[in-house]
Amino acid sequence: MTHLQTAAAPETATAGSGPRPGPPGPAPKARPPAARRRARRENLAGYLFMSPWITGFLLLTAGPMAASLYFAFTDYNLFDAPRWIGLRNFTDMFADPRWRQSVDVTLWYVVVGTPLKLAAALGVALLLNQKRRGQGFYRAAFYAPSLIGASVSIAIVWRAIFSDDAIVDRAQRALFGSDVGGWIGDPDWIVYSLVALTVWQFGAPMVIFLAGLKQVPRELYEAAEVDGAGPWRRFWNITLPMISPVLFFNVLLETIHSFQIFGSAYILGGSNGTCGPADATLVYTCYLYVQGFENSRMGLASAMAWMLLLAVGLVTAVLFWSQRRWVHYEEDGR
Amino acid sequence: MRTNGTGGTGTRGTGTVDRRGLLKLAGGSLAALGLTAAGCGTGSGSDGGIVTIRYAWWGSDDRAKRITRTIALFEKKFPKIKVKTDFQPYLDFWKKFNTQASGGNPPDVFQNAVGFLRKYDAKNVLLDLRGQVDAGNLKLDGFRAGLEKFGEVDGKLLGVPVGSNSMALVVDQAVFRKAGITPKPGWTWDEYYAALAKIRDTQGRAGDSGMFSVMYLYDMYLRQHGKAFYTAEGLGFTEADLTAWWNKAYEGVKSGIYADPKKVSQARPKSAVAAELAASEFTWDNFTIRYTSEGKSQYGLAPIPTTDGKRTGQYLGSLMLSASRRTKHPEEVAQFINFMVHDPEVARIMGYDRGVPATTAQYEAFKPTDPVNRQIAAYEKQLVDTGVLEPITPHPAGADVAEAAFLRIAEEMALGRRSVPDAVQQFFSEAKTAFGS
Repeated sequence: MTHLQTAAAPETATAGSGPRPGPPGPAPKARPPAARRRARRENLAGYLFMSPWITGFLLLTAGPMAASLYFAFTDYNLFDAPRWIGLRNFTDMFADPRWRQSVDVTLWYVVVGTPLKLAAALGVALLLNQKRRGQGFYRAAFYAPSLIGASVSIAIVWRAIFSDDAIVDRAQRALFGSDVGGWIGDPDWIVYSLVALTVWQFGAPMVIFLAGLKQVPRELYEAAEVDGAGPWRRFWNITLPMISPVLFFNVLLETIHSFQIFGSAYILGGSNGTCGPADATLVYTCYLYVQGFENSRMGLASAMAWMLLLAVGLVTAVLFWSQRRWVHYEEDGR
Repeated sequence: MRTNGTGGTGTRGTGTVDRRGLLKLAGGSLAALGLTAAGCGTGSGSDGGIVTIRYAWWGSDDRAKRITRTIALFEKKFPKIKVKTDFQPYLDFWKKFNTQASGGNPPDVFQNAVGFLRKYDAKNVLLDLRGQVDAGNLKLDGFRAGLEKFGEVDGKLLGVPVGSNSMALVVDQAVFRKAGITPKPGWTWDEYYAALAKIRDTQGRAGDSGMFSVMYLYDMYLRQHGKAFYTAEGLGFTEADLTAWWNKAYEGVKSGIYADPKKVSQARPKSAVAAELAASEFTWDNFTIRYTSEGKSQYGLAPIPTTDGKRTGQYLGSLMLSASRRTKHPEEVAQFINFMVHDPEVARIMGYDRGVPATTAQYEAFKPTDPVNRQIAAYEKQLVDTGVLEPITPHPAGADVAEAAFLRIAEEMALGRRSVPDAVQQFFSEAKTAFGS
């Protein structure tokens, strides 16, 4: 819990909390050379132990990021040397109707999918927070999908479930007598199967919610009950405010995840080189992949990636700004 | 990953990472954004006189089984050469290949098609096999008529055909019979459309699965009018041509002679004909084998309709084997290709899986006994006998991207997501980008 608070909002979490290290005293006297040598040796050892990570970071994260930032301003087809074209990639991007389609699809997916997933996670967490027999089993069972959910195989299973004449198709025919057919090949429906897949993988936020619910002091509920508050009121006035830091954390994380959806959309929809029939599941990263690896426009793909980074950064900033209005941190730093 | 003392990826054996290598490394690491960069290449090298070559191709599991058998045969006859294979479905294959090739690590030998020759030649990926022909490692005699020069572009030999196929009309024979329709060579488009209407009215099924997105059919239709889909540099038709073609398709969907595009899309990967949504479909003749395994009916091949009663615009398409310019073992690769296209035993294993075998020796070696393969053989023989075959235009660089756009935009139009003028405009704009880069 504490790491969440400090990570989320250090300024509020530390305000007025317990004893803090006092103001720095008078500067320590110059240390003897032996101690300094020892300190330097220790630092060196520290850097030595960190060096695999530092190397990895420089080579696999910082380097590629810098390169991709450079590519974003070039025409780069992977084969010939990149050619500097300034902002052309960005103007091309904004002028491309398919790009706008990918933005629309992604925003729709984020706005619809994320709240549904979080609602499912919170709902199940509330159920699993009660004392019942076999709760351990249920917790494991509900968490399992998100463990395996990231894998390609689940998306393939999903594809099988929602395709023509498969379980879902037959069920809706038997139950409603409808002639919708499989969702996978249907441009109007496929995106719902994508949302269903993400909602189904609510395990990770659910576990975090569960941890948050455990932290809510029972006395509050008891006091509220004495005052005659019903379950709904208790949830609204006690549970939600008390877990709002956790809720904030989950909203933040799941929103960022949703923006980056790729694997499931690509596997569900990518049957013939597109993302979904008539680009129905053309999420942003899917189009990025198409431009980079199918159309060999790696410069444009890099520009798109940086655009996504900016967008996610912006959304994160807005969320952080908004938390002042609805996230309550406990004063006593429990 | 195997190490062989010649340096791993990126270093190219020189011991230093040059700028280009670094850029490639970095480009490949877009994976940092959660993308999956395909393919970790394995260096091919020689240990103790044994040479290992990498062979990549696309296709189904059935093809995989056949190819494994041909490789076992090859390794038995050439004990000093080992072959490592790698296969994917068509689209994944090209993504992986593109990534590997741009990283300087393409497979030594790979399946190729006409749409990719100029593209990868322009990027210096393909080996000119002429040198190996001159050295005697690869024989170019004995190819069937029309296939000798198939892999030649601008005087370079960039691929060797392994089999040929041609566009055909695959029909559900039972439905055609019940509707009383007998397709004959030289029938016209008007006769074909009348047949579709008759099937719709009498059989309660659409006549065709929708032809607007079949690029190769549109190419033949253009050829019947003295044009072609591709020129050496770009598109060989105008916006007005495409508008007319897609308008006709659009009307066909509305009047019910073409299957409901949504249903067709939902039935995928099953074909609309096998899913009993439509009675016929334009596709490559060797695909009949696939329909037979998917559907319950009997499927046969009918001739392409014509405009003037004679010219169909047909040509042989072909799968080829090409080699990488970066291969360290051009001689062994040439021996491998030579074996695959000339050895009679290979043809007996592969059958018509990659089309009708390209060399006479292999053609003679495999005489199909099952009805489907026999139909394919008869169909291609009839094409040769009636003399309708024309030479193919080597596709310009960017053709693969243009074709993907054609497919996608035609589907959007069919599904009602775009008007015809909008679709035409979008296609021409995307094609311009594809050929420009």
